[in-house]
Amino acid sequence: MAQYVAQRLLQAIIAIFGVLTIVFVVMHLSGDPTLLLVPQDASAEMIAQLRSQLGFDRPIGVQYLDYLGGLAHLDFGDSIVQRVPALDIVLSRLPYTIQLAAGALVVAIGFGIPAGVLMATNRGGIIARILSAVVVTGQSVPTFLSGILLIFVFGVTLRWLPTSGSGDFASMIMPSIALGALSMSTFARMTRISIIDELGKDYVRAGRARGLSLSQVVARHVLRNASIPVITIAALEIGNLLAGAVIIETVFAWPGIGQLAIQSIQSRDFLVVQVIVLLISFVYVLTSVLADLVYVIVDPRIRLVR
Amino acid sequence: MKFALALIAASAISLVASTASAQTKETLTIDLPNDAATLDPHLQWNTDSYSIYRNIFDNLITRDASGTIVPQIATSWKYLDDTTIEFKIRDDVTFQDGSKLTAEDVAFSIKRIVDPALKSPQLSQFDQIKSAEVTDPVTVKITTKSAYPALLAQLVKLSIVPKAYVEKVGNQEFNQKPMGSGPYKLTEWKKGIETDLEAYGSYWRGKPPFQKVVFRAVPDVSTRIADLKTGKADLIRDVPPDQASSIKDGSSTQLFSGPTERVGYLYINAESGPTKDVRVRQAIAYAIDKQGLVDALLEGYGAAVNVVGAEPVFGYTDKVAGYDYDPEKAKALIKEAGAEGATLEFLTSPAYSRALVEAMQQMLNDVGFKVDIASSDQATFLKRRQGDAANAGSLAFGAWSCACQDADGIIFPLFRSGSIWAKYKNDKYDALVDEARSILDETKRKELYAQAYEILRQDVPGLGLYQVYALYGAAKKLKWEPTANEALFVMDMSWQQ
Repeated sequence: MAQYVAQRLLQAIIAIFGVLTIVFVVMHLSGDPTLLLVPQDASAEMIAQLRSQLGFDRPIGVQYLDYLGGLAHLDFGDSIVQRVPALDIVLSRLPYTIQLAAGALVVAIGFGIPAGVLMATNRGGIIARILSAVVVTGQSVPTFLSGILLIFVFGVTLRWLPTSGSGDFASMIMPSIALGALSMSTFARMTRISIIDELGKDYVRAGRARGLSLSQVVARHVLRNASIPVITIAALEIGNLLAGAVIIETVFAWPGIGQLAIQSIQSRDFLVVQVIVLLISFVYVLTSVLADLVYVIVDPRIRLVR
Repeated sequence: MKFALALIAASAISLVASTASAQTKETLTIDLPNDAATLDPHLQWNTDSYSIYRNIFDNLITRDASGTIVPQIATSWKYLDDTTIEFKIRDDVTFQDGSKLTAEDVAFSIKRIVDPALKSPQLSQFDQIKSAEVTDPVTVKITTKSAYPALLAQLVKLSIVPKAYVEKVGNQEFNQKPMGSGPYKLTEWKKGIETDLEAYGSYWRGKPPFQKVVFRAVPDVSTRIADLKTGKADLIRDVPPDQASSIKDGSSTQLFSGPTERVGYLYINAESGPTKDVRVRQAIAYAIDKQGLVDALLEGYGAAVNVVGAEPVFGYTDKVAGYDYDPEKAKALIKEAGAEGATLEFLTSPAYSRALVEAMQQMLNDVGFKVDIASSDQATFLKRRQGDAANAGSLAFGAWSCACQDADGIIFPLFRSGSIWAKYKNDKYDALVDEARSILDETKRKELYAQAYEILRQDVPGLGLYQVYALYGAAKKLKWEPTANEALFVMDMSWQQ
């Protein structure tokens, strides 16, 4: 097991390094932050001067080595726009993203899994039909639209919830629902499919034959066996929720790293983008390793071997 | 029992609080599209940053509501010769830590912003300044490299920072905890969320109108409007024209619209591609229905212009005739130039209204061009637009303001050959704008700009489209008059009961 984890971590480091390099090259080739920083009446000489002060006139290879040199000392560099350490900026935004992802996950799992179970056990029933309508809606309405609709209905018209902000529990509700809707649908569909799969198996019939009701069989045996694919999805979804909140964060003025990423990419604030990329790839890798470990706990038949 | 007492106490407090807030407005909340990039006023110069930090600092000089340059920290100034100007400084101003603002701080501020070591993006606006020296405790002498008529207009943007404090805490710390002599001091900067300011009690111009001001970062315009309608925000910036009427007619909201010095213009590449032919450029000028753009896309919040400039700008002239909308003339010119069906590449980025670009595409296609829109992100757009003429497309839309209200800040960078924006060369034009930026005589300068504008009319390296109106949404009780330079001074606002 230790060997397995070590192996996975090594793979992860290589993957993260690759991502960093690609992002570095793409960001540097596609534009120069100097042009975005100067007032528009700046002359060519002034721009050249600022560019050289900021070090962007050096060959990209030199800049890259310089950056890696900093990384080796855990120095992530300073934001060009804000003139403060890039790591500090990202870390100050991270709690908001985690908070929102957690809220969305609660919505997604809390509604998605029970909905999936009901849809599987009540196949063809009226409840299943209503739920599948909800699931399809959650999956197909784009988040920028659902976000604005929520704001319009619950914020402006009914005045139940704050229209934007991040201070308290109330302001978390709408972004969590809007962000969690897509994951909720994924959870519901996955749960439904894996339970239907399991329901056809012998042990279910055996259980029913022993006189257990369907819900008892599902609760005691099926859920556990159906959970492996759901755990895989959960691991991927956590990554998605952390990285994919860009639009929701913008609509609700939620100060997480999604909004920061967009702003930093637009202003070519290279070093901030790099830290975010580093962080997100780390989260993806970490959640997939964790998911593997959880498999073993849930289903001892699975062995982590190469 | 204890609980009941607490309840009574709490309701009493809330009663007091609610009656107090009915009398005065304690906190003004302003929604901006973004957070400030820096609060050090000598670093970033973008609207979101200076909307906030200019409330923390005072400027050497400023503009009044009519746009005239008036004293602020300086009481008066006079030219000793063409390159030397002497400023007298107020001696009743204190910084927010109680220390006195002196001529030393003014000289320090100027030297700081032009010091290459600070790497200030604003350096280009002040790089004509050679030196600043203190001649006595209330006098500062500024020397420029040559006679520089736009100096005062640029100094309107110079915030005065406290020398002793900046030297004590260093540049990095000063950006995090800025301190100035302005009406508001920083209480907390929650990066990316909001910036909280509190009134500075001993402000020299009197008591600021609100005890607290909160600037929030709300990137999405629909959300800013929702905030305004629910009272979460009292003032919002950047209202799109198509949303203006819902705010104007709102029961608790009002619309502030003000003409600005910003001008929407169409750049036309005079050095490369089909637009190298002056007849093609003139045809484009005849093909654009400026009034149509203002009426249909800006909902009337704009004014068609005759030149690349607007009325609040020094050097603007109404003597030069603009191009009237005349598609037949355009077609004739295209035929004469043999440019029927010529492909014109229209560069743009998400920073500019897509609808506006498409409307112009349609107008140009109607007279026989084939316009291709090339949209990219802003950094890539600028790289092409400011780069080599051969790769700079045929057309691009822009909305230009130098925040200096001087033609030197508009048509010099846009069309003087050698400037990064210019894809045009005319020696006579170059000589005119060069002379106009090196003499101080205002009448003569106006004449030179009138001649320069006439040349631009004939050569059409760019076409002035309309004067931009700034649109703000506000709570009904807020009293304020937006200015032409798009400044956002809370000190100029008040709350009506």
